[in-house]
Amino acid sequence: MRVFRFTWLFALLLIGALVLASCPAPAAPAAPAADQAAAAPTEEAHAEEAAEPTAEPAAEVEAMEFKIGLVTDVGRINDRSFNQSAWEGVLKAQADLGLTDEDVKYIETQDTKDYADNMAQFIDAGYNVIVTVGFALGDATTEAAKNNPDIIFIGVDQFQGEALPNLAGLIFHEDQSGYLAGVLAASMSKSGTVAAVLGTDLVPPVVAFNEGYIAGAKSVNPDITVISTYHPGEISQAFVDPEWGAATAKQAIDQGADVIFGAGGITGNGALQEVATHEGLYCIGVDTDQWETVPAAQPCLISSAMKLITPATAELIAQAQDGSFAGGNVFGAAGLADFHDFDSVIPQEVKDLLATTKAGLDDGSISTGYGN
Amino acid sequence: MATAGPALSTPHPLGRIFRSLLIPVLALLTALAAGALVMYLSGDDAASAYNGLFQGAFGSAKAWAITIRKMIPLIFTGLSVAVAFKAGLFNIGASGQFLMGTVFSVFIGINFEGLPPVIHLPLALVFGILGGVLWGAIPGILKVYTGAHEVIVTIMLNYVAALFSGWTVYAGGTQGQTPGPLWDPTAGPISETADVLASARLPYLFDPSYRIHYGVFVALAAVVFIWWLLYKTTIGFEIRTVGQNMKAARYAGIRVNWTVILTMGIAGGLAGLAGAVETLGLNHKFAPEFGGQVGFDGITIALLGQTHPFGVVLSSLLFGALDAGAAKMQFDSGVAADIIQIIQALVLAFVAAPMIIRALYRIKRQPGEAESTSLGTSWGGS
Repeated sequence: MRVFRFTWLFALLLIGALVLASCPAPAAPAAPAADQAAAAPTEEAHAEEAAEPTAEPAAEVEAMEFKIGLVTDVGRINDRSFNQSAWEGVLKAQADLGLTDEDVKYIETQDTKDYADNMAQFIDAGYNVIVTVGFALGDATTEAAKNNPDIIFIGVDQFQGEALPNLAGLIFHEDQSGYLAGVLAASMSKSGTVAAVLGTDLVPPVVAFNEGYIAGAKSVNPDITVISTYHPGEISQAFVDPEWGAATAKQAIDQGADVIFGAGGITGNGALQEVATHEGLYCIGVDTDQWETVPAAQPCLISSAMKLITPATAELIAQAQDGSFAGGNVFGAAGLADFHDFDSVIPQEVKDLLATTKAGLDDGSISTGYGN
Repeated sequence: MATAGPALSTPHPLGRIFRSLLIPVLALLTALAAGALVMYLSGDDAASAYNGLFQGAFGSAKAWAITIRKMIPLIFTGLSVAVAFKAGLFNIGASGQFLMGTVFSVFIGINFEGLPPVIHLPLALVFGILGGVLWGAIPGILKVYTGAHEVIVTIMLNYVAALFSGWTVYAGGTQGQTPGPLWDPTAGPISETADVLASARLPYLFDPSYRIHYGVFVALAAVVFIWWLLYKTTIGFEIRTVGQNMKAARYAGIRVNWTVILTMGIAGGLAGLAGAVETLGLNHKFAPEFGGQVGFDGITIALLGQTHPFGVVLSSLLFGALDAGAAKMQFDSGVAADIIQIIQALVLAFVAAPMIIRALYRIKRQPGEAESTSLGTSWGGS
C-alpha cells in the first residue's frame, strides 16, 4: 500500500495525542468545579454567590447527601425564561441548604422524545429531587413520579389532575399578576384606554392574565376602556406570531390605547416592540422580567407581570429537604417586575397602590374575580 | 463489505475496506479533536465530557438502548439519501417524506379498531412506505418530464409536507375554524392525533422501559434489502450506472427516466418507513413537533457512510451514540449539549470536503479513485 506513508501516520498519531492530551490537562484535581462555574456565563454570579456561603456548612452537611437535578424543556438553561428561573431556584435552594456545586445539576433537553431518558439520568444517579420545567414534560414527569415514589418531583407549570404525594405541580395565579398589571396600566393611562395583546384563549393561563388585567384596570378606573385581543390561531401559532402582535398593538394604539400589555410569548413581544416605536406610550411584559428578555421594548416597558418561579422552586426544594413536602398543585406567587428606568416616572402613590394591592391579593382581601 | 460492488482498482478487499473507512474515521477524529479544543478554550473539562459521552452511549444496557433507539430512524433516512446518491440524485426531501410516511401510517394506526395485529401493523407500515414513495416520486417525475432540479423540488416539498402534516392535526382556532381530520378532540387545544391502537404498534423488545421496539429489525431488513437491490439485481446495476454517467446509461439502453423516478420512489419509501416505524414503535401518535432532525441527519449519514448501506449502519451508530450520550455528557461535565451538534457538523464538513482531510493528513489519491463517490452527477448539470 503506497499510501501508507509516514507523513499521515504521524499526523494520525498526533491527532490522537491531541485528543488525549487535551483531556487530562483541565482534569487536574481541583479544576473541574471551578471550570464549570466559569463555563456558564449567565450563571456565574449565582454560582459564585452560591459557592461562598456553601464553603463552610458544606463540610457538616456532607453526610446528608441531598442532590437536586433539573431537566429543561427543549431549549437552553439560560433562556431568560422558565428554564433559567427554575434553575435559579435550584441555585437558591443550593445556597439556602448549604449544598455543594456537585449536588445540583441540569440537563438541557435536545429532543421532546428524551424527557424520560434525561430524568432517568438523575434517577439512576440517586438524586433526591428532580425539577422538570414546562407543561410539555407533564406526562413524563407523572410517569417517573409513579415509578419512583422515593424521589420528589417538582413540575414547573404542570397542572396536576390527580395528586401524587411525591409530585408537586408548581402553577401560578396568573390572574393576580394580570390584576397588578391592570392596576399599573390604568394608573399610568392618560387616554382612559388601555389594551392587551394576548396569545390564544385556548390556554387557560392566558385567559387568567387577561381577566385579571381587566379587573385590575377597572378597580382603578371603572370607566376605562380595555381593548383585549386574543390571537385567533391555534396553539402552535398563537405564541410565535410577532407580526400579528405588532399589527394588533398598532390597531389598539390607533384606537387611543396608551398602555399595552403583551401576554403571549413571541406574539406578545411583537406587541411590545411595536409600542416601543411610539413616543410616550407604555407597555407591560409577561412571565419574566422582559426588560432583560426583550431589550428592544425598553423604551416603553414599565414592568412585567411575572410568575415568580425562582422563590417558589427554592421553597418547594426546601420542603422536600425538611420533609414538609406535599404533592398536588402548589401555587407560586405572582408579582410585578422591577420598574428599571421608569422608576422615576412612576408616581409614588401608584407604587403605594401596587404594594397595597399586592398585599390584598396575597391575604385574599382582594379578589380578581377570575375562576369564581 | 468486501463483496460490495465490482472490484475497482485496489487489489486487496481488506485494503478497500481500510481505504473507505479512512476518510470518515479521520474526519471523526479531527472533529472530536476540534470539539476538545473548543471545550478547552471555553474552560470545560474535555476528558470528563467525552467520558460522559461514551458512558451515555455505551456505558450500560440503558445507554445502549438509547443509542439503538436513536439509530433506527437514522438508518432509514441515511439509506434514503444514499440510494438517491447512487443514481446521482440529491434527496434533500427525506424530512418531508418522513412526515408523509408518519401521517399515512398514523391514519391507519388510529383507525380500524378490531383489525388483528397481523393485518393492522403491516398495513400501517405499508401505508407509511406509500406516503413516502408518493412524496419521493413527485420530484423524480418532475425532474424527468420538466427538468426541474430534484434539490429544489424536494426542499419545497419539505415545506409542503410540514404544513400539510400540521394541518392534519390542526386543533382548530378560537373562531370556529375546522380542525384537521386526524386531530384528537380529547386533546383539547393541543394539536395531536389520538394514540395508535395497540394492534398497529411495533411491540417492545426487552423491558418496556428500554423503549426498544421491533423497528430495529425492520431497519436491519431494509439495510440488507437495499444492499441486495443495489449490488445483486439488474435494477441496482441500472441505478448505479445512471449515477455514474447518465448519458452512457441511456446509450447502453437503460431506461434512465424510469430509473430516476424509481430511485426517488425508493428513497421516499425508505424515509416514509422511518416515519412509520418511529410512529408505530416509539411515539404512538403524531404531533407537529415530532418531525425533528432525522431527515436532514440522513444526508450527513449517507455521506459519512460513503453511500453504502453497511456504511450507513456504522454512521447511524455514530450519530445515534452522539445523540444518546449528549445528556450524560452534560450531566457529568456540565458541557452544553450543543458541542455534540458542533462535532456532527464538523464531521459532515470534513466528509463532504475530503480535500481538507487529505490535505491535513497528506493522503494521496489513488489512481482511478473518484474524489467523491457520493455527490454523483447531480451537480454537474446532466
